[in-house]
Amino acid sequence: MNRTTRTVIKIFVIAATAIGCIAAAYYVGSLVTGHALATASDNMNYSRWQEKFFTLTRATGLLNGLCALGWFIAARFAFTVDEVPGAGKRIFWAGICAASAAIALGVPHVYAPMLGIKLNGIIFALFATIFTGAGFWLVTIFTTPLAFKYTPPLSREVLKLFSRR
Amino acid sequence: MSYYFISIGGTGAKVMESLTHLCIAGLLPNDERLYIAAIDPDVGNGNLERTSAALNNFVAFQNFSVGNDTPLFKNKISIVRPFPFNPTGHDKTLDDLTEYHQHSTGVGKLYAALYTRAERSVTLNEGFRGHPSIGAAVLAKNFGDGSNRTTLTAQIEKLIGEGDSVKIFLAGSVFGGTGAAGLPTVARLLRDNLADYADRISIGGALILPYFSFTPTDIGDELFARSENFLPNTKAALKYYADRENLFDATYLVGDSVMTAVKDFSVGSANQRNEAHIVELYAALAAADFFAQPTKKKIFKYICRHERDKFSWNDLPTSRERFVQFARFIFAYVHLVKPVLNNLVSGEAAAYKYPWFVDLLGGVKVTDPDVVNFSFYAEAFAAWLKQLETFGGREIFLIDPAAFESNPARIVDKKIFSALDGVQSKITLHEVWYRLTEPLKLESSVTGFGKFLRRLYEACAA
Repeated sequence: MNRTTRTVIKIFVIAATAIGCIAAAYYVGSLVTGHALATASDNMNYSRWQEKFFTLTRATGLLNGLCALGWFIAARFAFTVDEVPGAGKRIFWAGICAASAAIALGVPHVYAPMLGIKLNGIIFALFATIFTGAGFWLVTIFTTPLAFKYTPPLSREVLKLFSRR
Repeated sequence: MSYYFISIGGTGAKVMESLTHLCIAGLLPNDERLYIAAIDPDVGNGNLERTSAALNNFVAFQNFSVGNDTPLFKNKISIVRPFPFNPTGHDKTLDDLTEYHQHSTGVGKLYAALYTRAERSVTLNEGFRGHPSIGAAVLAKNFGDGSNRTTLTAQIEKLIGEGDSVKIFLAGSVFGGTGAAGLPTVARLLRDNLADYADRISIGGALILPYFSFTPTDIGDELFARSENFLPNTKAALKYYADRENLFDATYLVGDSVMTAVKDFSVGSANQRNEAHIVELYAALAAADFFAQPTKKKIFKYICRHERDKFSWNDLPTSRERFVQFARFIFAYVHLVKPVLNNLVSGEAAAYKYPWFVDLLGGVKVTDPDVVNFSFYAEAFAAWLKQLETFGGREIFLIDPAAFESNPARIVDKKIFSALDGVQSKITLHEVWYRLTEPLKLESSVTGFGKFLRRLYEACAA
């Protein structure tokens, strides 16, 4: 597989994962705690809550997807390793990971009141797990350009696990 | 077919150094085994020591599993022992070796008339001191029936006996002591010793003409080579060769119109460490050319350069692409790899930063002799190249000397890396790093540190 094909596939994987994370957060959130939250919100029924919740997951998922894409673009096209100290870039990765966590927790915190829906700790935990955990950390493990492929923490172990299978 | 390269004297040793680098870079015409022998009474000679170090490194590299479908390390070598062959032994004079001075008859008187007292009594630990007449007498006596008969000649006889053909190439100067004495003497003795197999041996020679000069400093009345004698010596030697056309099947005359001044004069031994010179590279390429020619083709080669004070790739009869790829490979190693290995050993670096280390060197101990040897060799190659590129105030346009430094070897200007030979390529240091991490299918036999070197070499291809 040549480098361009690999790049296109990885961008596609990042986009597909973002969509998958949005779907997962929406369905799991709706199923686990959607009814209780719809009842607790003012002037809200379950289907209206779901509609607003979908808007929220979409916004969070897209911003998270941009974080993963941002890391990929930076590592693939912006970083140059022509010196040993230029390798790794884990601090940069950690910065984007922190941004991803801030998005996963901050967007629902700020945007949910604007949408008029109530959330609970389960939703925050779910967003952090799905968007930062799977939508950023896991997806960067599989899509980070090869020159930095072991920069996401535990990537070596995870990739080894998958390559064995 | 087997190849023999026999270096004679200090200049021969320096040709051998260039040939070793060419071999390691895979620049010999095909993948026959090359047997390397050296004849030098000055066994502690600094030039020979440097060459021996490179050769011994190469012997170690042959154990690297780099695969068969690569030019890297493709020419296997064997060192013919004793290495070097010392025709004089230790602390011996011409009198000790010939014993003619004990004769009171005509032979003794003739000997006394032909050699001065100084020539007869000087110890030969540091070579024949620019006096080929001493060397010719010693070599004729000790090469023909000495211990080397049981190694070099016997080895060639064995190979021929097994049905092999053998090409033998001799290299040495015609203007000094050991080379001037050894080239014709050894060629003739080999022809005589192997006369029964004349149809299966071919002998070539690089006769190195004067290309350096020096000013002796404070050595009193000691006997030594004098550069003012180089041209008369050469004239006499060439006349001798002109009269003996059948000595070599292929003769390569290599010299220079400018005498490069040697920085630190030394009579011999460890202090004699002269810088590499492009004439030696040409002589090594002459060996490569000889090995590539069909057996028994009588050739005289004449090569000249396009511009008087300038050398460029157009003047060099070798594969530019392969040489440049090898130079990239060495510099990528010293710039990107060696510091990482050092940092990992000292615990200053985390392995995750270097995916190629995790993937390719995971099971390799970076303190292994293999790794240490290669790092040592990379330094030696950089030093050799730097010396080639910066001699005699003339312009050399092979590998850009502004790109790198030697001792320690390092890249000075990273931007020049992609244009090492003056032609811009897409091979930047980042590109090499990236390629090293990409999947590449290799034979299953390619393993360990050899696999890593093979990957790095492939990553440096234009």
